[in-house]
Amino acid sequence: MKQRVYQFLVDWLAGTYLVTILHRIVWLELIWGNDQSPRLGTDIGTTLVSGIPDWMTYLSIGVVLAIGATYSNVSLSLLLRGKLDRSMWQRAAALHVASLLLSLTFITGWIVTRISLVDMISGERLSAAGRIFSSLLQPEFSILPQALSAIIETVYLAFMATVLALPSSFVLSFLSARNLMRGNLWARTLYTLVRAVTNFTRSIEPLVWAVIFTVWVKVGPFPGMLALMVHTISSLAKQYSEQIEDIDPGPLEAIASTGARPLQILWFGVLPQVFIPFLSFTIYRWDINVRMATVIGLVGGGGIGTMLNQYQMLAQWHEVGLIILVIALVVWVMDYVSARIREALQ
Amino acid sequence: MLLDIRSLSKTYPNGTQALKSLTFAVQEGEFVAVIGLSGSGKSTLLRCINRLIEPTSGTILFDAQDVTHISGEALRRYRRKIGMIFQHFNLIGRTSVLNNVLMGALGSVSTLDSIIGRFPPALQEMALRNLEIVGIAEKASVRADTLSGGQQQRVAIARALMQEPQLLLADEPVASLDPATSHSVMRYLGYINRQLGTTIICNLHFLSLVREYATRAIALRQGEIVFDGSPSEITEEWFRHIYGDDAVEVEIR
Repeated sequence: MKQRVYQFLVDWLAGTYLVTILHRIVWLELIWGNDQSPRLGTDIGTTLVSGIPDWMTYLSIGVVLAIGATYSNVSLSLLLRGKLDRSMWQRAAALHVASLLLSLTFITGWIVTRISLVDMISGERLSAAGRIFSSLLQPEFSILPQALSAIIETVYLAFMATVLALPSSFVLSFLSARNLMRGNLWARTLYTLVRAVTNFTRSIEPLVWAVIFTVWVKVGPFPGMLALMVHTISSLAKQYSEQIEDIDPGPLEAIASTGARPLQILWFGVLPQVFIPFLSFTIYRWDINVRMATVIGLVGGGGIGTMLNQYQMLAQWHEVGLIILVIALVVWVMDYVSARIREALQ
Repeated sequence: MLLDIRSLSKTYPNGTQALKSLTFAVQEGEFVAVIGLSGSGKSTLLRCINRLIEPTSGTILFDAQDVTHISGEALRRYRRKIGMIFQHFNLIGRTSVLNNVLMGALGSVSTLDSIIGRFPPALQEMALRNLEIVGIAEKASVRADTLSGGQQQRVAIARALMQEPQLLLADEPVASLDPATSHSVMRYLGYINRQLGTTIICNLHFLSLVREYATRAIALRQGEIVFDGSPSEITEEWFRHIYGDDAVEVEIR
């Protein structure tokens, strides 16, 4: 029963999507070239809202299609779940519907992103491209000292974000490791809670955190560091906890059987097994944070990103070229060094 | 009577009945071998005794004290009296042999002292003595994961001896060792049983080892005791009964 309801919902969704695209894109845009109706790409918001009665129609036609799919078994849901046999005509029909949906999605995507080869290779555009590339390739070395001091700020910022995140990540990782937290109801509740919070904070990009913190503590390296730190806490906690879930339970059992206390079991049974991977993850995270810190500067998070933002706004492309060069070099070096350290740790 | 088990049952959450109302008693000084096919409930039985697994019903009396439902500090005190060794040794590979042995004494050292590595000199001496008992004292400062399987199992025995256990549980202690090493490990268990008077309950696969080292054999089949007696009484007929008609006895020399 539940399966049938899901099957109907999937087919309903697919049917509605098909009808919507056919009407909005193929009929109104492609066939009529309707200039009066707002273009989907230019103002998708109003297109969506203004069409409330239309949506009702689409949904109703979707229902009809889904009912048809249920009776004829030409169902995308059945196809996806592998329920349609190779010999059945329904399979061929459903495959056709699927490829139709895919092509329509591609066409819609083309229109919505307003892809235009003319904008890339017309004479005027090409000369603009030539201007920026030639400027970028002739970096202005007179600002090298400032760029270097800015990138050093970035590296330290990333380092502090990683180090300050460490203790919290460490504690949270144990609380969000399933194999350690299935003891009693208390442990399981705490596990679920910690998981929910870290999953939520991790799903928000550091860039967004940086925007929040620049309002909170004013523009500069400090909010950038805070933004990276928040993201690092939840990212490392997740990586750490996955490592803890992967450990060999044998030593834990052995330590527990000696009558050791819970903290001793953690210290002697878990830690030795995860210490090296933890260290390796942490170094890698610093490396990631350096890369992220260059971007975070763009929204006022300090370091080389802020400097890049300033010159970019003034359209001083020679200076931008130098900054990009410095970033690329430092990121490359960090990447190389962290890879070598992690190799040595194995 | 050291251990008295009455109607012990274990049903796992997935519905598997691993143990079906086992009743038996173990006297001090016995060397009990538990035999049976893989999946007959041997490992579950051992882990129920020291409560690494919670029994579903029944009672476990140790030294005439009911330990079936104790928890917290009382459970830890109980576990300290029972040593355990495992098929895969379960040492901490990255630390030294001596540290691994000292871990057997975690129960008698405060959490803080153990974490900062402050084990009393008496315990350190005891650890070395126990390493001597299993003939491996010269490896004390070597990393545990550099040792061979047989050596690691001897370290595990030394670790269990740190608890000065009244009972030693051995879960397939030789199942991942070669025949020659198996005998060496079994001889150390025999020595501990006879010379130190430690009671041993040991899961074993090879009947030849059971006959050579155990004073008593208990056979499990699908979670039930189908034989309980002297190892010498296990005849061809009993063997078929325990292991099924298709089984052929393999000897380890």
